[in-house]
Amino acid sequence: MKKRVMLLVVVSLAFLVSLAPNLFAAEQGVTDKEIHIGQWSPQTGPAAAWGSVARGTGAYFQWINDNGGIHGRKIVYHMFDDGYNPAKTMAGVKELQEGTGIFAWACGVGTSTGLAVKDYLAQNNVPWVGPAAGSLNWVNPPQRNLFAVYPLYDGEAKALVKYAVEKMGKKKVAVAYLNDEYGKNGLRGAQEELQAHGLKTVAEVSFEAGDSDLNPHVMKLKQSDADMVLLWTTVTHAAKVVGTSKAMNFAPQFMSTSTCSDFPLMMSITKGAWEGVVCATFGELPDSDYPAIVKYKKEVFEKYAAKEERWGIFYYAGILFVEPMIEALKKVGPDLTREKFITEMEKIKGFKGLGAEVNFKPFDKNDMYSRQGASQTFIIQCLAEGKAKKLTEWMDIK
Amino acid sequence: MTDFFQMVVSGIAVGSTYALMGLAMVIIYKTSEVPNFAQGEMALISSFFAMMLLTSFNYNIYLAFSLAFVFAAVLGCFLEFAVLRRAKEPNVLGMIVITIGIEMVILGFVSWKFGAEQKTMPFPIDPYESLFIGDLFLKKLDVLTFVSALCLMVVLFLFFRFSKLGLAMKATQQNSVAARIVGVRTNRIMMTTWGISSLVGAVAGLLISPTIMHPYMMWDPMLKGFAAAVMGGMTSLPGAVVAAYMLGIIENLFGGYISIEFKTVVAFVIIVAVLCFKPSGLFARHYVKKV
Amino acid sequence: MEPAFFRVDALSISFGGIKALEDIGFTMNKGEIFSVIGPNGAGKTTLFNCISGLYQPGKGDMVFKGRSIKHKKSDAVARMGIARTFQNIELFSHMNTMENIMLGRHIHMKTGLFKGMTMWGKSSFAGKEEILHREKVENIIDFLELQNVRDTFVGALPYGTQKLIELGRALALEPDLLLLDEPCAGMNTEEKQDMIFWIKDIQDELKISILLIEHDMKMVMDISDRVMAINFGKLITIGTPAEVQTNAQVLKAYIGEGE
Repeated sequence: MKKRVMLLVVVSLAFLVSLAPNLFAAEQGVTDKEIHIGQWSPQTGPAAAWGSVARGTGAYFQWINDNGGIHGRKIVYHMFDDGYNPAKTMAGVKELQEGTGIFAWACGVGTSTGLAVKDYLAQNNVPWVGPAAGSLNWVNPPQRNLFAVYPLYDGEAKALVKYAVEKMGKKKVAVAYLNDEYGKNGLRGAQEELQAHGLKTVAEVSFEAGDSDLNPHVMKLKQSDADMVLLWTTVTHAAKVVGTSKAMNFAPQFMSTSTCSDFPLMMSITKGAWEGVVCATFGELPDSDYPAIVKYKKEVFEKYAAKEERWGIFYYAGILFVEPMIEALKKVGPDLTREKFITEMEKIKGFKGLGAEVNFKPFDKNDMYSRQGASQTFIIQCLAEGKAKKLTEWMDIK
Repeated sequence: MTDFFQMVVSGIAVGSTYALMGLAMVIIYKTSEVPNFAQGEMALISSFFAMMLLTSFNYNIYLAFSLAFVFAAVLGCFLEFAVLRRAKEPNVLGMIVITIGIEMVILGFVSWKFGAEQKTMPFPIDPYESLFIGDLFLKKLDVLTFVSALCLMVVLFLFFRFSKLGLAMKATQQNSVAARIVGVRTNRIMMTTWGISSLVGAVAGLLISPTIMHPYMMWDPMLKGFAAAVMGGMTSLPGAVVAAYMLGIIENLFGGYISIEFKTVVAFVIIVAVLCFKPSGLFARHYVKKV
Repeated sequence: MEPAFFRVDALSISFGGIKALEDIGFTMNKGEIFSVIGPNGAGKTTLFNCISGLYQPGKGDMVFKGRSIKHKKSDAVARMGIARTFQNIELFSHMNTMENIMLGRHIHMKTGLFKGMTMWGKSSFAGKEEILHREKVENIIDFLELQNVRDTFVGALPYGTQKLIELGRALALEPDLLLLDEPCAGMNTEEKQDMIFWIKDIQDELKISILLIEHDMKMVMDISDRVMAINFGKLITIGTPAEVQTNAQVLKAYIGEGE
């Protein structure tokens, strides 16, 4: 009898001791030595061209860790492949959130993928900084835990259409868009801007992610006799449309959102047909001498990137969109909680990293700019060797 | 009116790729009685193999492509010999699952080894250059694909019609016990047909790769090729080819005149319709079994 | 001493715990009709399946023209000159009569992969081959009086006709040894008479040796040179029809059956 009581006491003590870290944990995803940050990414699948974003974030975090971490804590990075499939995104986020416990989520490519987890993260009050997509859905209505750093697609579309109409004298604008939230954001922006100039689209051609024969789509564009075609699709489709148009002797001015602004990649897969295409962009140019670009290229890319990786805009987008998060984490200090983190995020003003200037405000559910941090873009054109020519400086797109 | 002809021409262009994939599937179905869902990925890995020889080892293009064909044939034979033949008590469903498994393994391997980003395949013809016949344009690559498909079809036709292999293949598919009883080496036939089918698929893959080269590039052509094979009756080589061109043309006309969103769906609607009215396919001979 | 035409030694095979054949042994002479009789389930078809390579026996051996066929698969056995028909018909159901019989010519077709493409007209190598095979197939179709179903899908034909087509296919192989598994099953008296004549013709004119499984005792006694009786996988006796007919054990096994 005595033996049994002893056994019971020992087991209970052991159980209580094992609970101790949880009992005394300050915040989910944070210990004295670690901060757990997660990201979903299309490492495979139709959007794999944008898989380098998450790898860029990874290299950046490694650099931070090797340089002392953040107030003595190292970032433990949890990246998983969702294949640009919202169901997988949800599954992965839930698993990591409920299993390991993630403090905050960084970046994350995809409008539909992000939408799948947006409400879940809001309900659980998990911060999410810098979605790698410029969708209006992040800030309409704004959420306390969600900080957007990618300039809005609507805004990009408007800026591009405005430039085409005002500076290039285009009148017949067609839009080729991926048939999901991402594509529709671009379509909407274009329609609104055209309306402001008293014009309408001459054609609106939708693409499904799996479409591989694009002849019918390009034919429709050609039939509309457009003099500007706005592309809001995947990299693969954009390349094929431009290439097929060249084959068809259809030569409008092509313009595209920033998601296809990696000119070296686009030139390579279109065998040079991408030359002359105009894009909006969210970050400084890869071969410019802008100080942050030079610094990250040398200290992060050259030291931590895998051999086959390329210093392109998608890669350092992974740094660009998470910079504000790191800034806020540093400002909080050693006593790290989600509330304090959000407060510091809101205090960010005039922050200039690799991209547009970032400004946040205290949360106001009626003001989307309390959570839309960047609202500037500039326009570039693709040159012969994949280099970019700046057509404008940073401009506001509110 | 030019638009109509342009759409038909584009339909024929894309139909050639579907025809090649359809042929590949029918060849295997004719002996193993299983639709090979790994077809696309077998072509995929052969194409990536060629790309690797061209970019990493700087082989010249004719050598690289020839080696890719050899690779494809060997891969086909190997898969039949080492994987499919080992299945104990194979029923059709089990075999289908095996081919799907092979498909996933190859896809995963290619994604892992070569990365999922879009790549470029060095090719002597610029994929976006075209010929003009009056107002109609035809990409040079499409012409090459069409000609290759036609040549391959003629070769296969002669091969199967006039050699004892053709009859032996039919026999193996319809009743492998009876086939062996008359001396048909069924194992060798299966292996050979997988090799030939893989080779045909590789031709399709290599001709697709200049325009679009990433691990998922074969999904759409394979699905359409399968659709064409089903429409043609699954055991008819010319049937698959005719159905493939029909599919390409109908798709393009539908996309041009009716709705571009549902362009892909129309392919599958046609299949369902065909199977409702002529279940053995458009071109298969049908008989009523005596009870 | 010249090796026997076909010899089976102590052949045994089990499925699970059941001994389907136990120590079966016999010798067959060239040119004879050798019948195997026994009640249902005795192991007759199992014996045929062992000979034609569909089953691998556990013990014993089978030697055909001096060469062991124990480990040979069906296609190899066919190439050695042994043809076979099935109790339950194994035809190529989606082909017509002519094509089915033509497949029996498979092992004689020299035209391989590439020569086949060279069939330019009647006088080429492939052309001459094709004509030769067609001729042989037509002869068999005439022999078995199958002209009016020549181009019909075999799946649509009656059972009795299908059995004939299977026989035709076996003959097309030009075998030295023919295994017939219940060729008369499902036939009426008249058809059986025809079959008896055909079997005799096959022996006399085509000089093919025949191993026969049959339940019709009258027929067996009529055409066989020798008879082997088995039951429960074991050998009862071998002898001339007259000897076997009066064997006490055979009668016991067969009470109520045959005529």
